[in-house]
Amino acid sequence: MSATAWAWLVLLFPLLGSIVTAVGYRALPARAAGAIGTAAIALSFACGVGALVSLLGDEPEARHHASSLWTYASGGGLHVDLGILVDPLSVFMVLVVTGVSTLIHLYSFGYMRSDQGYHRFFSYLNFFVFSMLLLVLAGNFVLLIVGWAFVGFASYALISFWYRRETATGAGMKAFVINVVGDVGLVLAAFLIFRELGSFDFEQVFHAAPEHFTTNEWTVTAICLLLLVGAFAKSAQLPFHTWLADAMEGPTPVSALIHAATMVTAGVYLIARTHPLFGMAPTAADIAAFVGLATLLVAGTIALVVTDLKRAIAYSTMSQIGYMVVGVSIGAFSAGMFHFMTHSFFKALLFMAAGSIIAAMANDQNIDRMSGFGKAMRFTSAMLLVGGLALAAFPGTSGFFSKDEILAFASERGGMYVIFTVLGYAGALLTAVYTFRLIFRILPGRPNREAQELIETGHVAHGEPVNPVTGEREDTDVGFPGPEHHIAEHSLPMKVAMGVLGILALVGGLIQVPGVSHAITSFLDPVFHDSPLAQVHPSAGSEWAGLAIGAVISLAGIGLAYLLYVARPETPARLIERLRPVHTLLVNKWYFDEAIDALIVRPALATGRFANRTFERFVVDGLVNGTAETVRGAGGVVRLVQSGFVRSYALLLIAGFAGLALYFLVVSS
Amino acid sequence: MSNSLLWTPLAFGVVGLFLPRRAAGWWATAGAAATLGLAIAILAGFDSGGGLQHNVDVEWIPGLGVDYSLGVDGLNVFLLLLTALLWLGGTAFAAFREQERPQLFFLMMLLAETATLGAFLAQDLLLFVLFFDLMLVPFYFLFGAWGTDRPDGVTASAATLKMIVYTLVGSLLMLVGAIATGIIAADGGDLTFSIAELARQPLDEGSQRWIFWFFAVAFLVKMPAFLLHGWLADAYRAAPLPVLAVFSGVLAKVGAYGFLRVVLPLFPDATVEFQEVMLVIALASILYGSAMAFTQTNVRLVAGYSSVAQLGFITAGIFALRADGADGAVLQMVNHGLVVAPLFIIIAVLVERSGSEDLREMGGLAMRAPVLAALFLIVTLATLAMPGSANFVGEFFILNGLFQAKIVYAFVASIGVVMAAFYALRLYQRTMHNRTPEGLVSREIGWRDGVVLVPLVACIVALALYPNLILERTDRSVEATIAAVEGRPSEELARR
Amino acid sequence: MSIEWYIVLSSLLFATGAMGILIRRSPVVILLCLELMLNAGNLALIAFSRMVGNQEGQVFALVVMVVAACEVVVGLGLIVAIFRRRLPLDVDELRELRG
Repeated sequence: MSATAWAWLVLLFPLLGSIVTAVGYRALPARAAGAIGTAAIALSFACGVGALVSLLGDEPEARHHASSLWTYASGGGLHVDLGILVDPLSVFMVLVVTGVSTLIHLYSFGYMRSDQGYHRFFSYLNFFVFSMLLLVLAGNFVLLIVGWAFVGFASYALISFWYRRETATGAGMKAFVINVVGDVGLVLAAFLIFRELGSFDFEQVFHAAPEHFTTNEWTVTAICLLLLVGAFAKSAQLPFHTWLADAMEGPTPVSALIHAATMVTAGVYLIARTHPLFGMAPTAADIAAFVGLATLLVAGTIALVVTDLKRAIAYSTMSQIGYMVVGVSIGAFSAGMFHFMTHSFFKALLFMAAGSIIAAMANDQNIDRMSGFGKAMRFTSAMLLVGGLALAAFPGTSGFFSKDEILAFASERGGMYVIFTVLGYAGALLTAVYTFRLIFRILPGRPNREAQELIETGHVAHGEPVNPVTGEREDTDVGFPGPEHHIAEHSLPMKVAMGVLGILALVGGLIQVPGVSHAITSFLDPVFHDSPLAQVHPSAGSEWAGLAIGAVISLAGIGLAYLLYVARPETPARLIERLRPVHTLLVNKWYFDEAIDALIVRPALATGRFANRTFERFVVDGLVNGTAETVRGAGGVVRLVQSGFVRSYALLLIAGFAGLALYFLVVSS
Repeated sequence: MSNSLLWTPLAFGVVGLFLPRRAAGWWATAGAAATLGLAIAILAGFDSGGGLQHNVDVEWIPGLGVDYSLGVDGLNVFLLLLTALLWLGGTAFAAFREQERPQLFFLMMLLAETATLGAFLAQDLLLFVLFFDLMLVPFYFLFGAWGTDRPDGVTASAATLKMIVYTLVGSLLMLVGAIATGIIAADGGDLTFSIAELARQPLDEGSQRWIFWFFAVAFLVKMPAFLLHGWLADAYRAAPLPVLAVFSGVLAKVGAYGFLRVVLPLFPDATVEFQEVMLVIALASILYGSAMAFTQTNVRLVAGYSSVAQLGFITAGIFALRADGADGAVLQMVNHGLVVAPLFIIIAVLVERSGSEDLREMGGLAMRAPVLAALFLIVTLATLAMPGSANFVGEFFILNGLFQAKIVYAFVASIGVVMAAFYALRLYQRTMHNRTPEGLVSREIGWRDGVVLVPLVACIVALALYPNLILERTDRSVEATIAAVEGRPSEELARR
Repeated sequence: MSIEWYIVLSSLLFATGAMGILIRRSPVVILLCLELMLNAGNLALIAFSRMVGNQEGQVFALVVMVVAACEVVVGLGLIVAIFRRRLPLDVDELRELRG
């Protein structure tokens, strides 16, 4: 079978799974829906492997295949096919997405078992995977936008999955609207591309771009900046990042799948996919890289102070995506994609472990209340530790190799790009500190009430169902994850999913070790070989030097965290006291939410209210009433003549005729 | 074929007068179904490259040069289908419910259908004006007699009167414009009102300039566009919901269709001259309609003002004066009709459950009604022109046309896209999600509503998969229409 | 006889009728004066018809007579109706149509 046929099957299974679980919401037993959903994604993964095998059978230069089902829209000079493009980049994305998704489905199978909306959950989740695959397989900009918006919708639907929670529906709305802003950026970019190159098709556009544009021409820069609006909105980069922390209102598997492993990295994919355009617009690429850098630092600092477990991991996600954006923007494409892969392993794992702990805490997410879970939940703790080590780039783990490859590339490019290396290592230090802040809070120490209960009785503690954000009582019909909480220790599917990811997070980096193997770089090379930066390759020696620095920084960060949170637990409070303004700034997340609220949301709502209350009443209705008044006034004048005296009418008549007669007499004579 | 399509509804309506009360609704539904069958037959036999088809051309008032002339081409073929489809939905929905004086109600419904089909079919300027005005008559009675009075004292008849005055002013201006066009074009010779004939030799641009506005005002009121929408709020709150579904779904499109059928071919110079003015009106409609929609709390008005915004997009697409923009406009007319009609039917269902039309008194309805929630969700997403829906394709074509023609307007219009996401989701969330107010009982839709809603939603989904169904059939006619304004302004204008 | 005499007579009759309508308040008299004016018109029509030498003017005069007869019927009917309802027979009092 050809690679494209496999790719169509990759798309088909999740879509079918979504439809079947949705339509069969009454007929199918809950477990069957979960099984169907998981199996659909697993099949999709299998087909992805099929596509990979088929692709590897081709010559490296011939590894791109386009295929279309039917003409989607054509008219007025525009032509859009329902077409896909299968090349190493899309297959790589497909494999990571379906692979991680399969495991997260498996995890959800156990984790969501007691939830009222089990069918709905799997239907949405499958739909999300379908959308994400559509996004990465799309063969033209229009279909890319379709996939782009579909994942946005799936994200919305899953964030507000517990829809009786007003915080959840509000967060969903925020995520959706910010993502639509991104969609609009993409749409406008597509228009500009069409204006310049007359096509929406990837291959035609990328083929024509180098001849059509001169480097840094304003049009291509504008195109790239508009693309970046889309990428940043989806990947939660500054200043469009505010939705991601709120998105943690969704069930934890959703955070793992959408808001860590897959969807939020779509922006990275977009930049990599459109690299021929960015190659013509180095200014735009540099802007992207600096935004990525700023995001990785800002998010890293916020993660230092957040006390909500899931939100802390979410800020870490933003920060890590910042690394990827830096990578693909400065030309380290395969390094960026490599980091995307390892990140999806360890971040999904971290979220799964966090979900297990939160379940044990009866949905309390406050890390200040957690302690002693190392004893209570051995498996979960081990997985949390593995994920944390990989995130902190502990030597030998997956994150260790991938992060440093980006930074080594930056230093190899030299010049101002050294900034990225230096600040990137600063970010790595932050990462190690905030990661182990979480771990040292949760795992060691005296078991708290919930952990104690788990140790003593072997049962998960139950508490009042309250919303962790507002503290109000949950509507348990749907606004809460069901009567039972499931932890990995008690659920085999969760355990399997976490175990596999744990292994991947530990050893996944070995697929590409400097000087030893470069499987990802050589696999992706056919896609990126025409990039002007394709020849920049850090030598194995300099990469190892970078790795050594990374190892030192990682260990230093972990040590610092140990010093702060274990050895001298009173230091953080003193630091907060000393640096009160900084702490306030960080706790308020650099006031981005407030700024957006004041600059955009409030004015828009105020305009709407003004339109409703004032404008409508006085101007629009005024127009009507004014006309009515004018007519009435004019009528009043005419009324005076209508006296009712028949004889005065007759007089007017006769006088009129006499006047006319006189006129004609005068004219004729 | 055109003739039978046109008169079938009215024939059924008249016969229905003599049927017993209980049969009237079903008879009318059968009539609407028969009309839909004819419309489908016309589409099946439609030849996308064949120009005007199913022509009927009979001298009607020879002395005045008025012909009874009907025809189908790419511009109206899907609008006819949309009309027939939505009327079937609206009629069936009404037939499932108790109506006062049902025979008369359904006669009015079907008369309205005939009038609307006539406006779409007419190929003679005066015939078009006649049907355009005839549409008002049944809706006057439907809104006024079967509408609801508001507790704050605005009666249904007062609200209807306001609407009628608005539209009548536009219609009369249009009548004057139509007669003037015929007379000036004849220039002392034989009068003709055939649109094709008149388009062959456009008027001098001085006459075009004022007649253009006579027509434009009529069409803009109908849509309604910004500043001419004063009738909307009262009329929408008074109208019975099944009637409102067809009214909002189809009648607004007659205005947009009028621009393509009449204004562009007949007044090309004026169209080019006033392009920017019309675009400004369109953008104002988009932004104002959206701003109103996201602060309104009355569910009908959220949908109503969203229509103002959507019709703004359609106008913008037409006045991009490019084939892609106009293609998108035609597609979007069908899409918007297909979306707004089920939206109003869903609103009717929601209002039955919550007993209120205020968003603040609704919420949490999805819990016991997953099917309703799913249908509503699809409609909502289509309303906000979610990529992947046909509405997105329409909007994409419109915005692309606008972008290539006048780039700044496209940027402003895209703000409307973001606002649409907000107001559409807000409507969905406030009704289906969040906490349920005290005393509100949610329940699933019954099969009766399902029979009406599911096919309409199925059409939305089908079009989402294959929007080219419409585009490939309309493209030729649209390009012919746009060709009329290309190469303008004519030489005199350029010299000035 | 030259046409002038007819015209003068017709004008005089017309003026008399018009004057009567303007100064009298009784509907009966006004009706009479109206007849006077109509017949002044008829006279002029017939005179011109003779002068030109065709019959069209006479036809018109006949039509006017028919109309006048109808008018009298309606007018008198109204007057009788007003009288029956014991309303004042005075056109200045009967001004229900005042705007």
